[in-house]
Amino acid sequence: MQNAKDSFYMALRARLATINPERTILLRGTVRPGILVEEAEAPFNQPPTDIFILRWLGLGVDMDLGSAMVAEECEIAYQTCGTQSYGGLDRGRALSEMDEELVAMLKPFHTPKLNYTATPPAAMLTQVFWDEPAFGPIAIQRDRLSRSAKVMVYSYQEQGE
Amino acid sequence: MAANWFSAPAPVARRVRAYFAPVNRAAQTPVLFDPAEQGRFNLEAPPAPWIDLGWIRGFKRTPKSKTSPVLAGIPAGTLEQVRETLEAQVSFQFLSWTKLTMALATGSQHMNLMAPASGSSAAADGAQAVPAVTPQSGSSAIFIALAATDAASFAPGSIVALDVDYTGQTGFVGAPVAGAYVRQALTDADYIRRVTFNVGLVSQVNSTGITLAEPLPGGIPAADAKLQAVTGFVDREGGSFYQEWSALFVMEGSQGERIFFYYPRLQTMTGAEEEAVPLDEKHEAGHSRVLLKGQFLALPVTDPLDGEHVLCYRSFLPASMALV
Repeated sequence: MQNAKDSFYMALRARLATINPERTILLRGTVRPGILVEEAEAPFNQPPTDIFILRWLGLGVDMDLGSAMVAEECEIAYQTCGTQSYGGLDRGRALSEMDEELVAMLKPFHTPKLNYTATPPAAMLTQVFWDEPAFGPIAIQRDRLSRSAKVMVYSYQEQGE
Repeated sequence: MAANWFSAPAPVARRVRAYFAPVNRAAQTPVLFDPAEQGRFNLEAPPAPWIDLGWIRGFKRTPKSKTSPVLAGIPAGTLEQVRETLEAQVSFQFLSWTKLTMALATGSQHMNLMAPASGSSAAADGAQAVPAVTPQSGSSAIFIALAATDAASFAPGSIVALDVDYTGQTGFVGAPVAGAYVRQALTDADYIRRVTFNVGLVSQVNSTGITLAEPLPGGIPAADAKLQAVTGFVDREGGSFYQEWSALFVMEGSQGERIFFYYPRLQTMTGAEEEAVPLDEKHEAGHSRVLLKGQFLALPVTDPLDGEHVLCYRSFLPASMALV
Protein backbone atom coordinates (compact mmCIF):
# COMPACT_ATOMS: atom_id res chain seq x y z
CA MET A 1 0.00 0.00 0.00
CA GLN A 2 2.88 2.34 0.75
CA ASN A 3 4.17 2.00 -2.80
CA ALA A 4 0.82 3.22 -4.13
CA LYS A 5 0.81 6.17 -1.73
CA ASP A 6 4.37 7.08 -2.65
CA SER A 7 3.66 6.76 -6.37
CA PHE A 8 0.56 8.93 -6.14
CA TYR A 9 2.41 11.64 -4.27
CA MET A 10 5.44 11.58 -6.55
CA ALA A 11 3.23 11.72 -9.64
CA LEU A 12 1.40 14.78 -8.34
CA ARG A 13 4.65 16.40 -7.28
CA ALA A 14 6.24 15.91 -10.71
CA ARG A 15 3.12 17.21 -12.44
CA LEU A 16 2.93 20.26 -10.19
CA ALA A 17 6.55 21.11 -11.00
CA THR A 18 5.52 21.27 -14.65
CA ILE A 19 2.14 22.96 -14.21
CA ASN A 20 3.40 25.73 -11.92
CA PRO A 21 7.15 25.64 -11.30
CA GLU A 22 6.84 28.69 -9.11
CA ARG A 23 4.71 26.95 -6.51
CA THR A 24 7.45 25.77 -4.19
CA ILE A 25 8.17 25.37 -0.50
CA LEU A 26 11.40 25.67 1.44
CA LEU A 27 11.42 22.55 3.59
CA ARG A 28 14.35 21.35 5.68
CA GLY A 29 16.64 23.68 3.75
CA THR A 30 15.53 22.46 0.34
CA VAL A 31 13.30 24.15 -2.19
CA ARG A 32 10.76 21.59 -3.43
CA PRO A 33 7.53 21.62 -5.41
CA GLY A 34 4.76 22.95 -3.21
CA ILE A 35 3.19 19.67 -2.20
CA LEU A 36 3.87 17.47 0.79
CA VAL A 37 2.53 14.46 2.65
CA GLU A 38 1.44 15.45 6.11
CA GLU A 39 2.33 12.13 7.76
CA ALA A 40 5.88 12.33 6.37
CA GLU A 41 6.70 15.76 7.83
CA ALA A 42 7.06 17.17 11.35
CA PRO A 43 3.70 18.30 12.76
CA PHE A 44 2.93 21.96 12.14
CA ASN A 45 0.80 24.23 14.30
CA GLN A 46 -0.60 26.16 11.38
CA PRO A 47 -0.67 24.47 7.96
CA PRO A 48 1.53 26.35 5.49
CA THR A 49 -0.30 28.38 2.87
CA ASP A 50 -0.07 28.19 -0.92
CA ILE A 51 0.98 24.55 -1.02
CA PHE A 52 -0.90 21.27 -1.28
CA ILE A 53 -0.99 18.97 1.74
CA LEU A 54 -1.81 15.30 1.21
CA ARG A 55 -3.50 13.55 4.11
CA TRP A 56 -4.29 9.81 3.97
CA LEU A 57 -7.61 8.90 5.54
CA GLY A 58 -9.79 5.84 4.83
CA LEU A 59 -8.65 2.43 3.70
CA GLY A 60 -10.51 -0.46 2.08
CA VAL A 61 -9.34 -3.77 0.68
CA ASP A 62 -11.20 -6.02 -1.78
CA MET A 63 -9.71 -9.45 -1.30
CA ASP A 64 -12.05 -11.36 -3.62
CA LEU A 65 -9.98 -10.56 -6.68
CA GLY A 66 -7.01 -12.39 -8.15
CA SER A 67 -4.89 -9.49 -6.88
CA ALA A 68 -6.27 -7.69 -3.82
CA MET A 69 -7.44 -4.18 -4.65
CA VAL A 70 -6.66 -1.47 -2.13
CA ALA A 71 -8.64 1.77 -2.01
CA GLU A 72 -7.10 4.62 -0.02
CA GLU A 73 -8.84 7.91 0.52
CA CYS A 74 -6.57 10.90 0.14
CA GLU A 75 -7.56 14.38 1.26
CA ILE A 76 -5.69 17.16 -0.47
CA ALA A 77 -5.92 20.35 1.58
CA TYR A 78 -4.73 23.79 0.55
CA GLN A 79 -5.14 27.31 1.75
CA THR A 80 -4.11 30.81 0.84
CA CYS A 81 -4.18 34.36 2.15
CA GLY A 82 -3.54 35.83 -1.26
CA THR A 83 -0.42 37.85 -2.00
CA GLN A 84 1.10 40.66 0.03
CA SER A 85 1.43 42.84 -3.03
CA TYR A 86 -2.35 42.94 -3.31
CA GLY A 87 -2.91 43.08 0.43
CA GLY A 88 -4.62 39.69 0.32
CA LEU A 89 -7.42 41.00 -1.89
CA ASP A 90 -6.53 38.37 -4.50
CA ARG A 91 -7.05 35.43 -2.11
CA GLY A 92 -10.13 34.24 -4.03
CA ARG A 93 -8.16 34.24 -7.26
CA ALA A 94 -5.24 32.49 -5.59
CA LEU A 95 -7.54 29.74 -4.33
CA SER A 96 -9.11 29.34 -7.79
CA GLU A 97 -5.63 29.00 -9.21
CA MET A 98 -4.88 26.20 -6.77
CA ASP A 99 -8.23 24.53 -7.63
CA GLU A 100 -7.22 24.52 -11.28
CA GLU A 101 -3.73 23.28 -10.53
CA LEU A 102 -5.13 20.40 -8.50
CA VAL A 103 -7.48 19.39 -11.31
CA ALA A 104 -4.58 19.53 -13.75
CA MET A 105 -2.30 17.56 -11.42
CA LEU A 106 -4.79 14.73 -11.18
CA LYS A 107 -4.91 14.21 -14.96
CA PRO A 108 -4.33 11.63 -16.27
CA PHE A 109 -5.99 9.62 -13.54
CA HIS A 110 -3.26 7.03 -13.29
CA THR A 111 0.47 6.64 -12.84
CA PRO A 112 2.85 3.67 -12.88
CA LYS A 113 3.44 2.10 -9.47
CA LEU A 114 7.04 2.39 -8.35
CA ASN A 115 8.89 1.15 -5.32
CA TYR A 116 10.60 4.24 -3.90
CA THR A 117 12.50 2.31 -1.24
CA ALA A 118 14.84 1.21 -4.04
CA THR A 119 17.43 3.51 -5.59
CA PRO A 120 16.68 4.31 -8.31
CA PRO A 121 12.94 3.68 -7.82
CA ALA A 122 11.94 0.29 -9.22
CA ALA A 123 9.06 0.03 -11.67
CA MET A 124 6.36 -2.41 -10.58
CA LEU A 125 3.84 -4.24 -12.75
CA THR A 126 0.63 -2.31 -12.20
CA GLN A 127 -0.75 1.20 -12.33
CA VAL A 128 -2.08 3.30 -9.50
CA PHE A 129 -5.34 4.98 -10.52
CA TRP A 130 -7.88 7.30 -8.95
CA ASP A 131 -11.29 8.89 -9.29
CA GLU A 132 -12.18 12.48 -9.98
CA PRO A 133 -11.74 14.71 -6.92
CA ALA A 134 -14.70 15.56 -4.72
CA PHE A 135 -14.17 19.19 -3.74
CA GLY A 136 -15.38 20.50 -0.40
CA PRO A 137 -16.68 24.01 0.22
CA ILE A 138 -14.39 26.93 0.91
CA ALA A 139 -13.67 27.47 4.60
CA ILE A 140 -12.98 31.05 5.68
CA GLN A 141 -10.91 31.91 8.71
CA ARG A 142 -10.30 35.66 8.81
CA ASP A 143 -8.22 36.35 5.70
CA ARG A 144 -7.42 32.71 5.10
CA LEU A 145 -9.35 30.72 2.49
CA SER A 146 -9.00 26.98 2.54
CA ARG A 147 -10.45 24.03 0.71
CA SER A 148 -9.89 20.33 0.53
CA ALA A 149 -10.64 17.72 -2.09
CA LYS A 150 -10.96 14.00 -1.53
CA VAL A 151 -9.66 11.48 -4.02
CA MET A 152 -10.05 7.69 -3.84
CA VAL A 153 -6.78 6.13 -4.93
CA TYR A 154 -6.83 2.51 -6.09
CA SER A 155 -4.04 0.01 -6.55
CA TYR A 156 -3.48 -3.71 -6.79
CA GLN A 157 -1.28 -5.49 -4.30
CA GLU A 158 1.59 -7.15 -6.08
CA GLN A 159 3.68 -10.12 -5.05
CA GLY A 160 5.99 -9.21 -2.20
CA GLU A 161 3.96 -6.23 -1.04
CA MET B 1 -13.00 -41.85 24.26
CA ALA B 2 -15.61 -39.09 24.01
CA ALA B 3 -15.72 -35.72 22.35
CA ASN B 4 -17.82 -32.63 22.70
CA TRP B 5 -20.01 -31.41 19.89
CA PHE B 6 -22.00 -28.35 19.01
CA SER B 7 -25.26 -27.60 17.29
CA ALA B 8 -24.33 -25.82 14.07
CA PRO B 9 -26.63 -23.09 12.77
CA ALA B 10 -27.03 -22.36 9.06
CA PRO B 11 -23.67 -21.88 7.35
CA VAL B 12 -22.37 -18.34 7.14
CA ALA B 13 -20.45 -17.75 3.93
CA ARG B 14 -19.33 -14.57 2.28
CA ARG B 15 -18.38 -15.59 -1.21
CA VAL B 16 -18.39 -18.34 -3.80
CA ARG B 17 -15.45 -19.81 -5.65
CA ALA B 18 -15.76 -21.33 -9.11
CA TYR B 19 -13.76 -24.07 -10.79
CA PHE B 20 -13.73 -25.26 -14.37
CA ALA B 21 -13.01 -28.60 -15.98
CA PRO B 22 -13.31 -29.46 -19.68
CA VAL B 23 -16.10 -31.65 -20.97
CA ASN B 24 -15.16 -34.12 -23.68
CA ARG B 25 -17.61 -32.74 -26.19
CA ALA B 26 -17.37 -35.55 -28.71
CA ALA B 27 -18.14 -38.18 -26.07
CA GLN B 28 -20.27 -35.85 -23.92
CA THR B 29 -18.21 -36.95 -20.95
CA PRO B 30 -17.98 -34.52 -18.06
CA VAL B 31 -15.26 -34.42 -15.40
CA LEU B 32 -16.28 -36.03 -12.13
CA PHE B 33 -16.08 -34.36 -8.76
CA ASP B 34 -16.28 -36.65 -5.75
CA PRO B 35 -16.94 -34.58 -2.61
CA ALA B 36 -16.16 -37.55 -0.36
CA GLU B 37 -12.71 -38.04 -1.81
CA GLN B 38 -11.84 -34.52 -2.92
CA GLY B 39 -14.05 -32.26 -0.80
CA ARG B 40 -11.36 -30.98 1.54
CA PHE B 41 -9.06 -29.77 -1.23
CA ASN B 42 -7.12 -26.52 -0.85
CA LEU B 43 -9.32 -23.89 -2.50
CA GLU B 44 -6.20 -22.31 -4.01
CA ALA B 45 -5.07 -25.59 -5.58
CA PRO B 46 -7.99 -27.66 -6.89
CA PRO B 47 -7.44 -31.31 -7.83
CA ALA B 48 -6.57 -31.92 -11.49
CA PRO B 49 -8.06 -31.34 -14.00
CA TRP B 50 -10.09 -28.64 -12.24
CA ILE B 51 -8.94 -25.08 -12.94
CA ASP B 52 -9.53 -22.24 -10.52
CA LEU B 53 -11.69 -19.41 -11.89
CA GLY B 54 -11.41 -17.33 -8.72
CA TRP B 55 -14.14 -15.82 -6.59
CA ILE B 56 -17.38 -14.94 -8.31
CA ARG B 57 -20.26 -12.70 -7.29
CA GLY B 58 -24.00 -12.75 -7.73
CA PHE B 59 -24.12 -16.57 -7.74
CA LYS B 60 -27.72 -17.60 -8.27
CA ARG B 61 -29.24 -21.01 -8.91
CA THR B 62 -32.63 -21.13 -10.54
CA PRO B 63 -34.44 -24.46 -10.76
CA LYS B 64 -36.69 -24.52 -13.80
CA SER B 65 -37.87 -28.10 -13.76
CA LYS B 66 -41.60 -28.49 -14.04
CA THR B 67 -43.70 -31.01 -12.22
CA SER B 68 -47.30 -32.00 -12.78
CA PRO B 69 -49.76 -33.70 -10.51
CA VAL B 70 -51.31 -37.03 -11.45
CA LEU B 71 -54.91 -36.59 -10.45
CA ALA B 72 -57.36 -39.27 -9.39
CA GLY B 73 -60.80 -39.44 -7.88
CA ILE B 74 -63.89 -37.24 -7.95
CA PRO B 75 -63.29 -34.52 -7.06
CA ALA B 76 -59.74 -34.97 -8.36
CA GLY B 77 -56.93 -35.05 -5.85
CA THR B 78 -53.21 -35.35 -6.40
CA LEU B 79 -52.21 -38.96 -6.37
CA GLU B 80 -48.62 -38.55 -7.47
CA GLN B 81 -46.30 -35.99 -8.93
CA VAL B 82 -44.34 -36.49 -12.10
CA ARG B 83 -41.41 -34.46 -13.35
CA GLU B 84 -42.34 -33.13 -16.78
CA THR B 85 -39.16 -31.25 -17.66
CA LEU B 86 -35.69 -31.14 -16.24
CA GLU B 87 -34.04 -27.72 -16.33
CA ALA B 88 -31.85 -25.58 -14.12
CA GLN B 89 -30.00 -22.33 -14.67
CA VAL B 90 -27.06 -20.69 -12.96
CA SER B 91 -26.02 -17.08 -13.22
CA PHE B 92 -23.14 -15.09 -11.74
CA GLN B 93 -20.44 -12.59 -12.60
CA PHE B 94 -16.77 -13.35 -13.00
CA LEU B 95 -14.40 -11.04 -11.14
CA SER B 96 -11.59 -11.42 -13.65
CA TRP B 97 -11.11 -11.30 -17.41
CA THR B 98 -9.05 -14.26 -18.55
CA LYS B 99 -9.14 -16.48 -21.60
CA LEU B 100 -11.22 -18.97 -19.66
CA THR B 101 -13.69 -16.62 -17.98
CA MET B 102 -14.26 -14.66 -21.18
CA ALA B 103 -14.87 -17.84 -23.12
CA LEU B 104 -17.23 -19.33 -20.57
CA ALA B 105 -19.25 -16.15 -20.29
CA THR B 106 -19.80 -15.82 -24.01
CA GLY B 107 -22.31 -17.80 -26.00
CA SER B 108 -20.07 -18.51 -28.93
CA GLN B 109 -16.53 -19.39 -29.99
CA HIS B 110 -13.91 -17.45 -28.11
CA MET B 111 -10.87 -16.79 -30.25
CA ASN B 112 -7.29 -15.82 -29.73
CA LEU B 113 -6.13 -12.78 -31.68
CA MET B 114 -3.02 -14.12 -33.32
CA ALA B 115 -0.06 -11.79 -33.82
CA PRO B 116 -0.51 -10.59 -37.40
CA ALA B 117 1.95 -11.32 -40.15
CA SER B 118 3.59 -8.28 -41.67
CA GLY B 119 1.43 -6.78 -44.39
CA SER B 120 -1.54 -9.06 -43.82
CA SER B 121 -4.95 -7.62 -44.57
CA ALA B 122 -7.18 -6.69 -41.64
CA ALA B 123 -9.91 -9.00 -40.32
CA ALA B 124 -12.40 -8.49 -37.47
CA ASP B 125 -11.24 -11.60 -35.67
CA GLY B 126 -7.56 -11.18 -36.40
CA ALA B 127 -5.51 -10.99 -39.55
CA GLN B 128 -3.42 -13.76 -41.05
CA ALA B 129 -1.00 -14.81 -38.35
CA VAL B 130 2.75 -14.90 -38.10
CA PRO B 131 3.73 -18.50 -39.01
CA ALA B 132 3.73 -20.96 -36.12
CA VAL B 133 6.95 -22.43 -34.74
CA THR B 134 7.50 -26.05 -33.72
CA PRO B 135 8.42 -26.95 -30.15
CA GLN B 136 11.43 -29.19 -29.69
CA SER B 137 11.65 -32.37 -27.65
CA GLY B 138 12.10 -31.76 -23.94
CA SER B 139 9.11 -29.43 -23.65
CA SER B 140 6.85 -29.57 -20.62
CA ALA B 141 3.62 -27.90 -19.55
CA ILE B 142 5.56 -24.87 -18.36
CA PHE B 143 8.66 -24.86 -20.56
CA ILE B 144 8.48 -24.92 -24.34
CA ALA B 145 11.79 -25.91 -25.90
CA LEU B 146 12.46 -23.99 -29.12
CA ALA B 147 15.21 -23.46 -31.63
CA ALA B 148 17.20 -20.36 -30.70
CA THR B 149 15.93 -18.39 -33.69
CA ASP B 150 12.33 -19.26 -32.82
CA ALA B 151 12.80 -18.42 -29.13
CA ALA B 152 14.14 -15.01 -30.10
CA SER B 153 10.81 -14.11 -31.64
CA PHE B 154 9.14 -14.15 -28.20
CA ALA B 155 9.68 -11.84 -25.23
CA PRO B 156 8.69 -11.96 -21.57
CA GLY B 157 5.10 -10.73 -21.44
CA SER B 158 4.13 -12.37 -24.72
CA ILE B 159 1.00 -14.52 -24.78
CA VAL B 160 1.26 -17.78 -26.70
CA ALA B 161 -1.18 -20.37 -28.01
CA LEU B 162 -0.10 -23.95 -28.53
CA ASP B 163 -2.10 -26.51 -30.47
CA VAL B 164 -2.03 -28.56 -33.65
CA ASP B 165 -2.43 -27.31 -37.21
CA TYR B 166 -5.90 -27.37 -38.69
CA THR B 167 -5.88 -29.90 -41.52
CA GLY B 168 -9.44 -29.87 -42.77
CA GLN B 169 -11.13 -31.93 -40.04
CA THR B 170 -14.72 -31.32 -38.99
CA GLY B 171 -16.32 -31.68 -35.57
CA PHE B 172 -15.03 -30.45 -32.24
CA VAL B 173 -11.52 -28.99 -32.36
CA GLY B 174 -9.09 -27.78 -29.70
CA ALA B 175 -7.40 -29.54 -26.79
CA PRO B 176 -7.86 -30.00 -23.87
CA VAL B 177 -11.01 -27.90 -24.24
CA ALA B 178 -13.09 -28.01 -27.41
CA GLY B 179 -12.97 -24.42 -28.62
CA ALA B 180 -15.25 -24.74 -31.63
CA TYR B 181 -17.30 -27.11 -33.74
CA VAL B 182 -16.29 -27.09 -37.41
CA ARG B 183 -19.24 -27.94 -39.65
CA GLN B 184 -17.42 -27.74 -42.94
CA ALA B 185 -13.74 -27.77 -43.80
CA LEU B 186 -11.90 -24.45 -43.47
CA THR B 187 -8.73 -23.20 -45.09
CA ASP B 188 -6.97 -21.49 -42.17
CA ALA B 189 -4.15 -23.74 -40.90
CA ASP B 190 -4.07 -21.68 -37.69
CA TYR B 191 -7.80 -22.13 -36.94
CA ILE B 192 -7.33 -24.53 -34.03
CA ARG B 193 -4.77 -22.23 -32.43
CA ARG B 194 -7.27 -19.39 -32.89
CA VAL B 195 -9.87 -21.20 -30.77
CA THR B 196 -7.65 -23.20 -28.43
CA PHE B 197 -7.77 -22.70 -24.67
CA ASN B 198 -4.17 -23.88 -24.45
CA VAL B 199 -2.68 -20.43 -23.91
CA GLY B 200 -0.12 -19.03 -21.50
CA LEU B 201 1.94 -15.99 -20.56
CA VAL B 202 5.67 -16.03 -21.27
CA SER B 203 7.67 -15.17 -18.16
CA GLN B 204 11.17 -15.87 -19.38
CA VAL B 205 12.97 -16.38 -22.68
CA ASN B 206 16.38 -17.83 -23.36
CA SER B 207 18.11 -19.44 -26.31
CA THR B 208 16.69 -22.89 -25.48
CA GLY B 209 13.04 -21.89 -25.26
CA ILE B 210 10.38 -20.05 -23.30
CA THR B 211 9.16 -20.46 -19.73
CA LEU B 212 5.52 -19.79 -18.94
CA ALA B 213 4.13 -18.09 -15.86
CA GLU B 214 1.67 -20.96 -15.32
CA PRO B 215 1.48 -24.48 -16.79
CA LEU B 216 -0.49 -24.86 -20.00
CA PRO B 217 -4.01 -26.22 -19.40
CA GLY B 218 -3.25 -28.97 -21.91
CA GLY B 219 -0.13 -30.16 -20.12
CA ILE B 220 2.87 -31.41 -22.06
CA PRO B 221 2.60 -30.27 -25.71
CA ALA B 222 1.46 -32.89 -28.20
CA ALA B 223 4.10 -34.03 -30.65
CA ASP B 224 2.52 -32.21 -33.57
CA ALA B 225 1.54 -29.04 -31.68
CA LYS B 226 2.84 -25.66 -32.80
CA LEU B 227 3.26 -22.35 -31.07
CA GLN B 228 2.09 -18.88 -32.06
CA ALA B 229 2.04 -15.48 -30.43
CA VAL B 230 -1.31 -14.06 -29.32
CA THR B 231 -2.07 -10.37 -28.85
CA GLY B 232 -5.48 -10.67 -27.17
CA PHE B 233 -8.88 -12.28 -27.45
CA VAL B 234 -12.06 -11.76 -29.43
CA ASP B 235 -15.55 -13.20 -29.33
CA ARG B 236 -18.62 -12.58 -31.42
CA GLU B 237 -22.29 -12.05 -30.80
CA GLY B 238 -23.86 -14.78 -32.85
CA GLY B 239 -22.59 -18.05 -34.18
CA SER B 240 -23.81 -21.53 -33.44
CA PHE B 241 -21.32 -22.89 -30.93
CA TYR B 242 -22.08 -23.19 -27.21
CA GLN B 243 -19.28 -23.46 -24.70
CA GLU B 244 -19.74 -26.38 -22.32
CA TRP B 245 -17.88 -27.14 -19.11
CA SER B 246 -18.03 -29.08 -15.91
CA ALA B 247 -18.51 -26.57 -13.13
CA LEU B 248 -17.90 -26.70 -9.43
CA PHE B 249 -18.92 -23.94 -7.05
CA VAL B 250 -17.82 -23.90 -3.45
CA MET B 251 -19.11 -21.94 -0.48
CA GLU B 252 -16.95 -22.23 2.60
CA GLY B 253 -18.71 -21.48 5.86
CA SER B 254 -17.31 -19.69 8.87
CA GLN B 255 -16.92 -22.97 10.78
CA GLY B 256 -15.09 -24.79 8.00
CA GLU B 257 -18.19 -26.44 6.57
CA ARG B 258 -18.38 -26.59 2.78
CA ILE B 259 -21.25 -26.51 0.33
CA PHE B 260 -20.52 -27.76 -3.18
CA PHE B 261 -22.59 -27.33 -6.30
CA TYR B 262 -21.32 -29.65 -8.97
CA TYR B 263 -22.77 -29.24 -12.44
CA PRO B 264 -21.36 -31.99 -14.69
CA ARG B 265 -22.46 -30.15 -17.84
CA LEU B 266 -23.04 -26.43 -18.02
CA GLN B 267 -23.59 -24.51 -21.25
CA THR B 268 -23.62 -20.78 -21.81
CA MET B 269 -27.15 -19.68 -22.69
CA THR B 270 -26.71 -15.97 -23.45
CA GLY B 271 -24.44 -13.79 -25.53
CA ALA B 272 -21.53 -11.81 -24.12
CA GLU B 273 -22.69 -9.31 -21.53
CA GLU B 274 -20.94 -7.07 -19.03
CA GLU B 275 -21.98 -5.29 -15.88
CA ALA B 276 -20.26 -2.15 -14.60
CA VAL B 277 -20.13 -1.95 -10.81
CA PRO B 278 -18.86 1.32 -9.26
CA LEU B 279 -15.76 0.85 -7.13
CA ASP B 280 -17.07 3.47 -4.75
CA GLU B 281 -20.82 3.21 -4.17
CA LYS B 282 -20.89 6.83 -3.01
CA HIS B 283 -19.28 7.95 -6.23
CA GLU B 284 -21.21 6.29 -9.01
CA ALA B 285 -19.67 8.50 -11.70
CA GLY B 286 -16.20 7.29 -10.76
CA HIS B 287 -14.34 4.15 -11.70
CA SER B 288 -16.39 1.04 -12.30
CA ARG B 289 -15.30 -2.55 -12.37
CA VAL B 290 -16.47 -4.27 -15.54
CA LEU B 291 -17.64 -7.76 -14.70
CA LEU B 292 -18.33 -10.56 -17.14
CA LYS B 293 -21.91 -11.72 -16.72
CA GLY B 294 -22.65 -15.34 -17.32
CA GLN B 295 -25.91 -17.23 -17.49
CA PHE B 296 -25.75 -20.96 -17.90
CA LEU B 297 -28.03 -23.86 -18.60
CA ALA B 298 -27.38 -27.16 -16.86
CA LEU B 299 -27.57 -30.24 -19.08
CA PRO B 300 -28.47 -33.64 -17.67
CA VAL B 301 -26.23 -36.61 -17.08
CA THR B 302 -27.20 -40.12 -16.12
CA ASP B 303 -26.09 -41.04 -12.63
CA PRO B 304 -24.62 -44.54 -12.85
CA LEU B 305 -25.70 -45.17 -9.27
CA ASP B 306 -29.35 -45.57 -10.16
CA GLY B 307 -29.79 -44.41 -13.74
CA GLU B 308 -31.52 -41.16 -12.79
CA HIS B 309 -31.10 -38.08 -15.00
CA VAL B 310 -29.70 -35.21 -12.95
CA LEU B 311 -28.48 -31.68 -13.55
CA CYS B 312 -26.58 -30.81 -10.40
CA TYR B 313 -25.20 -32.37 -7.25
CA ARG B 314 -25.34 -30.32 -4.06
CA SER B 315 -23.03 -31.67 -1.36
CA PHE B 316 -22.50 -30.53 2.20
CA LEU B 317 -19.46 -31.32 4.33
CA PRO B 318 -20.37 -30.33 7.89
CA ALA B 319 -18.04 -28.51 10.24
CA SER B 320 -15.97 -30.66 12.51
CA MET B 321 -17.94 -31.91 15.54
CA ALA B 322 -21.15 -30.25 14.37
CA LEU B 323 -24.31 -32.19 15.08
CA VAL B 324 -25.90 -33.59 11.96
